Amino acid sequence: MRAPNFTAEAGFMTVMASPALFPQTEPERLKKRLERERKARLDAERIAELGMRQLFMKQKELELLREVATAANEAESVEQALRMAIERICSYTNWPVGHAYVLDVPNGELVSSVWHLKSPEQFESFRQVSDRIRFPRGIGLPGRVLDSGRPAWIQDVTQDDNFPRANLAKDIGVRAGFGFPVLVGKEVMAVLEFFSDTPSEPDALLMEAMGHIGTQLGRVIERKRYEKQLFHNAFHDSLTDLPNRALLFDRLNQALARAKRYAVQNKDYLFAVIFIDLDRFKVVNDSLGHLVGDQLLVEMSRRIQRCLRTSDTVARLGEDQSEIHTVARFGGDEYAILLDDIKHVSDATRVVERLRKELQMPFNLDGREVFASASIGIALSTTGYEHPEELLRDADIAMYRAKALGSGRHQVFDISMHERIVKLLDTENDLRRAVERHEFQLHYQPIVSLQSGRVAGFEALVRWQHPDRGLIYPGEFIPVAEETELIIPISEWILREACQQAHEWQAQFSGLSPWSVSVNLTSRYFARKNLLQEIGSLITENKLDPCHLRLEITESQIMQNAKTISETLLHLDNSGIGIYIDDFGTGYSSLSYLSSFRVHSLKIDQSFVGALNADEKSAAIVRSIISLGHSLGLKVIAEGVETAEQLNYLRALQCDYGQGYYFSRPVDTATIADLILQKPQW
Amino acid sequence: MKGIVFNLLEEVIRREHGEETWDALLEATRLEGAYTSLGNYPDQDLAKFVGAASVALKMPAEEITRWYGRRALPLFAERYPQFFAAHKSARPFLLTLNSIIHPEVRKIYPGADVPDFQFDTSSKEVLVMDYGSKRKLCMFAEGLIEGAAEYFGEAVKIEQPKCMHRGDEKCVLRISLQKLDS
Repeated sequence: MRAPNFTAEAGFMTVMASPALFPQTEPERLKKRLERERKARLDAERIAELGMRQLFMKQKELELLREVATAANEAESVEQALRMAIERICSYTNWPVGHAYVLDVPNGELVSSVWHLKSPEQFESFRQVSDRIRFPRGIGLPGRVLDSGRPAWIQDVTQDDNFPRANLAKDIGVRAGFGFPVLVGKEVMAVLEFFSDTPSEPDALLMEAMGHIGTQLGRVIERKRYEKQLFHNAFHDSLTDLPNRALLFDRLNQALARAKRYAVQNKDYLFAVIFIDLDRFKVVNDSLGHLVGDQLLVEMSRRIQRCLRTSDTVARLGEDQSEIHTVARFGGDEYAILLDDIKHVSDATRVVERLRKELQMPFNLDGREVFASASIGIALSTTGYEHPEELLRDADIAMYRAKALGSGRHQVFDISMHERIVKLLDTENDLRRAVERHEFQLHYQPIVSLQSGRVAGFEALVRWQHPDRGLIYPGEFIPVAEETELIIPISEWILREACQQAHEWQAQFSGLSPWSVSVNLTSRYFARKNLLQEIGSLITENKLDPCHLRLEITESQIMQNAKTISETLLHLDNSGIGIYIDDFGTGYSSLSYLSSFRVHSLKIDQSFVGALNADEKSAAIVRSIISLGHSLGLKVIAEGVETAEQLNYLRALQCDYGQGYYFSRPVDTATIADLILQKPQW
Repeated sequence: MKGIVFNLLEEVIRREHGEETWDALLEATRLEGAYTSLGNYPDQDLAKFVGAASVALKMPAEEITRWYGRRALPLFAERYPQFFAAHKSARPFLLTLNSIIHPEVRKIYPGADVPDFQFDTSSKEVLVMDYGSKRKLCMFAEGLIEGAAEYFGEAVKIEQPKCMHRGDEKCVLRISLQKLDS
């Protein structure tokens, strides 16, 4: 390590001390030193003052930012936040004019929103002109900010060649201007501009602070947008973006309240609820998949809205009709329309007609053409409703009525529908009790071999001995039972009862030529997994020869569920239980299915037999069914035989069996026993 | 360059050579010489002082710069004792330049352009310090380091295997410190 080198110091001493370098006198030197000191002090003070001023400005700026941040957090609307920010900035900069534009998102144009003027009378004309001008991207101060997404500063707007308001500015004393964007991400959502009455150099620090404020205000816009979205989501269906049930309820409540108000004022006011249910939507969903199903629902919602938009139903011309009415989706394939302020029920039916026309065009889903129809129910506000639920319930009832009449229909709700529904509900309640109290009984109607003229079987027909209403026929309660789960216990009881009866007859009718008891079953019961097992155990319990048991299922039910039922039919046939296809000729049979089913007989619907004499077409149908049945190797049973003429005709056509009042009405078991003892022959 | 550099230069000269010498240097450089620690002054002012002394003394300018650094350090210690008090030797003191001392300088003098050193502390014997300021005052740094060694009672040897004055991208100072027997 070397020691510090002091050579240089020694040299200084020598050279600096040389008198040649000191031409000044001592007082001169002192004076110069004093001057230096004073100057250094002044410099120091100046620098310190500048620093303190900067500090002060920085503090003010922080205060401004904090105020804006606080106010932005508390603002209840974007407009409020903008107003507050403009006031604070004007007070901070001491600039007399502050103005905010907000972006009209669909048009991409800036729209004047909020002003702050220190002396309104001086700047009023500037405000009016600014409000009128449209600023496209790049034009004027706001247009420049919108285009660049960055703050802009104009030293003197009257000297600027991209300032459309320059002439006016010159007249009223607007000089410097700056603007900055309110950004959400990189999107300019609003532009704020400020003007001073004197020209002013760009202030980089101020611009930076304004950038922060722009970000703060952007957060307000973002938050409000988010709130709006959440609110929207709560009241709209996510798939179609239509209003949901909650929003429709709200609108219905408003309409009901208005109806009450107008009633007091003796003013006319009518509205309608239209309930729309797509027919066979499940088939589309199941066969083409849920995505295609969803597409159908979305396209459907567009078509419904289109029907309202082009509506001429409402007298208030010039307004967007879709704004007045509400289309809602209830989930699934159900839609509801609140048709507000209509003149007459025909206004509603006209919308429905238009919708039907819309639905005539196929839907193009995923490159596939799909046809759809809808069942529609209409309820009118005339009925003195109190709650939205009641209106929707009645529209729903009317829709169900329409659906029951066939697809693509519509019905206007009337009170008889309500009564019918009430009756149905009563029936359902009573039915429930009837199952528990064993109020059912079976009657039997003989089936006669047309070849031998002898009894060959009995169709078991259920009757309901109602404690108040007396004997009720199945047509009145089986459909209700089918809509509820009650059909299952009722079917079980019928089957059990019939099997027990067959067991008794097995002993009594031992001498009788082959006979059977046939039992009507619905497809719902047929679809049960343990059906075969249940029937098997009933046969075992009753020591029944399976050839004495037949099951009847209607043509339409068997065809609707052809795939699932086909295998069951095969099993039943294998175990010796024959199947009759009931009401044949009324449904739509697929002949290929028919040939593949293992069934015993076709039962010609009584409507054809009844019209045999009167109607050549019916005769032709009967003829065709008999020949079809025979060519498929099936027996044919004619139902509803009432006259000797019909019997003869059927015999001539070689129909195998007949059933009807001509032979016997359905009777109780005692009567059947008497009948058999008489060994009748027709 | 911050006014403090000139204030310290003036003080070093006046303490060691008297006020006349400082007056003489001002005359020679034709500089006004009213420096306040709050102000910013041209870098050339320092160069002019060093140049004038170099001509007068027929000494390399870098030697003069190094001498100034060595003499300035105790004055720093007088003005800002808190930076020194925490240390017993030069090495940890030097290592706080980036982490404590220069950040503090920036707080007092916003915008102060203080150098950012890079230290390689992998060797216990040799502290390697990179210096890359455009002012190229590596000799001032050497002087200050020598002054710090002296302050903490240590002997120091500094080598510069790389120097911007020799065309390198930056200066590399290899600093070997050793406690002197008291």
